[in-house]
Amino acid sequence: MASMPEAPTMVLIVREDLRLSSGKVAVQCAHAAVSCTLAARKSQARLVERWRQAGARKICLKVKNLSELQMLAGQAQTAGFVMHLVKDAGHTEVEPGTITVLGIGPGPRRSIDALVGDLKPY
Amino acid sequence: MGLRSFIHKMTAPRPSERIPKGDMKMVFVVNHGLKMGKGKIAAQVGHGAVKAVMNAGEKRPASLEAWLATGQKKICVKGLDADHLIRLEQEAKQLNVLAVSVHDAGHTQIPSGSYTILALGPCEEHQLEPLTGSLKLL
Repeated sequence: MASMPEAPTMVLIVREDLRLSSGKVAVQCAHAAVSCTLAARKSQARLVERWRQAGARKICLKVKNLSELQMLAGQAQTAGFVMHLVKDAGHTEVEPGTITVLGIGPGPRRSIDALVGDLKPY
Repeated sequence: MGLRSFIHKMTAPRPSERIPKGDMKMVFVVNHGLKMGKGKIAAQVGHGAVKAVMNAGEKRPASLEAWLATGQKKICVKGLDADHLIRLEQEAKQLNVLAVSVHDAGHTQIPSGSYTILALGPCEEHQLEPLTGSLKLL
């Protein structure tokens, strides 16, 4: 299935500056993935189905800080992708309301790649 | 499907699901023996979460609703290896706790088909206690 370059993809973008533990990052990414999937299922059910059948591709990337994350969120919104900014409840590690992760997609791989192509893997 | 069975399906009472009362939680047991990078773990846990949500939507819609409405509480704990995850998965099924497994496609970092994540729940916190209560947070 890796040979399906057109299969939809989801990207999860993590703020590097918060220095979260890997368990915390995983949970925040899961939150973004769930929220994006549920939102996309309402607006683009067929795309979500295609994405899941092709293995529900997810990639984890990083940005340096909040402003970079917010800029990407704005661009994703303008481009019409499903997206979700995760705000932490702040029970552990960070202040309540801290924005930790941005989820984008599932959406067409080519157009998402165009948006996040320069980011490094987390 | 014939018309009668269709009508039956529409009007039959839903399979009864106890309405959850306590704090709802989802737990991810990460196969710590695989030495995955943190980005890899995050993506795998993401898979587990989405799978668990879809599964719960079919089998325990009330639990799913309750979990979503209370902030989607999730935690990650360390599992020793694939055998440990398999054992926990079987125990979860015996305790009637929803369990889904994630096996990696193996594009990066680890061999294809590796058992990476066991996702448990969403269900009441006390149901998870005997399964994962003794495991360390990731």
